[in-house]
Amino acid sequence: MNLPLQIRFPSAAATDNRAWRESRVRGLTRALSSQPLPATAGLLLGLVVAVGWADYMTGFEVSVSLLYLIPIGLGAWVAGRSMGIMVALASAAVWLGADLLAGHAYGHWLMPVWNTLTLAISFLVVAALLGSLREVNEGLERMVARRTKALQAENAQRRQAEEELTQALSEARKAHAELQRTQFQLIEAAKMESVARLASGVAHQVKNPLMTLSLGVDYFLSRKPESRNEAQLAQDMKEAVRRASSVINILLDYSRPRPLQRTSEDIHSVIENSLTLVRHQLNKQQVTVVREFDMTLPSVLLDRTRIEQVLVNLFLNAVQAMAPGGTLTVRTVSSTPLSGDSDGPTGVTVEIDDTGHGIMPENADKLFEPFFTTKPPGQGTGLGLTVARKLMEIHGGSIRLSNRKQGGARATLQFNTQPLAKR
Amino acid sequence: MMTKRILVVDDEPSVTRNLKLNLESGGGYEVLGENHAAETLNAARGFRPDLILLDVMMPGLDGGDVAARLRADPLFRDTPIIFLTALVSNEETEGHEMLRGAETFLAKPVDIGELKKTLENHIRR
Repeated sequence: MNLPLQIRFPSAAATDNRAWRESRVRGLTRALSSQPLPATAGLLLGLVVAVGWADYMTGFEVSVSLLYLIPIGLGAWVAGRSMGIMVALASAAVWLGADLLAGHAYGHWLMPVWNTLTLAISFLVVAALLGSLREVNEGLERMVARRTKALQAENAQRRQAEEELTQALSEARKAHAELQRTQFQLIEAAKMESVARLASGVAHQVKNPLMTLSLGVDYFLSRKPESRNEAQLAQDMKEAVRRASSVINILLDYSRPRPLQRTSEDIHSVIENSLTLVRHQLNKQQVTVVREFDMTLPSVLLDRTRIEQVLVNLFLNAVQAMAPGGTLTVRTVSSTPLSGDSDGPTGVTVEIDDTGHGIMPENADKLFEPFFTTKPPGQGTGLGLTVARKLMEIHGGSIRLSNRKQGGARATLQFNTQPLAKR
Repeated sequence: MMTKRILVVDDEPSVTRNLKLNLESGGGYEVLGENHAAETLNAARGFRPDLILLDVMMPGLDGGDVAARLRADPLFRDTPIIFLTALVSNEETEGHEMLRGAETFLAKPVDIGELKKTLENHIRR
């Protein structure tokens, strides 16, 4: 019959009881082993004499005689095999003494000697076995301690290695990110360099033919065209020349920016002037302009014309992104300077919010790329934001575009201000 | 009104031709086009212009060199010279007056109205 295999685990109570007993035995042996050797020997011999007396008094009952094993076991276990042997011999001697004192009548004089010898041999075997067991135990404990120490050292080493690895990994990640950033900047710089070279070359090659076209159109316009169609055609050609020329100028401006002519300016005055420049487009699209200005902001050291160019660009982008009747919010706030020095000058942030369609996720990385535009053909050069970023960078500031939670896009311009420029 | 003589020096014949056409058609100007920079001094000596329009980038001699030669001749020491250039934008032309002997810069493509205003301003001086 096949019986199912049953495994019995000790109950929690039994485990606790055994643990308690073991702890008491350990406590006793620790207490004895902490005594000096002569004191331990004296204590054990006293115990042997006590057992001998009890043995004598009870008429040498076997159960009492077995009590000699207690001091022998304790001696061998606590103080080693030698102590165990000594206590075993002492126990045999005490037993013989008690036996002689009791005056037992033996059939042969060798009988007490024989009894003593067998008892002594038994005691010695127990002492030797327990002594050996103690040595083995000590050896095992030493080995366990050694292994534990080695394992602890290994663990510490492993932990240190893990920490070093984690740190190295974090540094490698940082370096990788830095490398990616540098690579991106290098690609950007190379791209910009190409644009700059292209601009210079194209400017000369294109502007002369444009001049011929422009003069030709001017001539036709001065001749009073015969029909409205001809006049419109000439105007369209004039506008086409103007637009082509404008693209070349932006490229030239981008490739060889003039040195900034910085003056300390109230940012609100620059914003108002820029809004005036786009007033026609704002009115045409029925855009409501909301101003949220912090009038306590310090003045900013900037090239007014260039920053107006940036603002006009952003305002026009916002207007073109919105359906008629949209809202353009211009906000100025104090900010932490780009240098990150909290004791340094206060930064000034300009936020331009629109209620348009926002930035498509697939376009987010391309917004500042030269010639990237989402406007219909003929309405954008794709250079406005590229130039705006360049202008902000040479001002030591920054430009950021993001989507607003409420819908629409936000352009954020950040300027550093001068510490003594507080009004 | 006295007719003013304008010498236009540009290596592009279409530019000199169209400038002549535009300026002369409105009246008040007599224009001589010169397409070889090296011949500017000779052309100027024969034409005696009231003002010289000078392209900056020309093969062989650039506008600056030509202006220096003109200024070295006592006949043209005070003749206004206006540079025409393809390598600056309109915004850049501001603040560069009197550079290497020129009165001012005009960025190509030139608007004829703006050009006429500039000519009037400089010839009147």
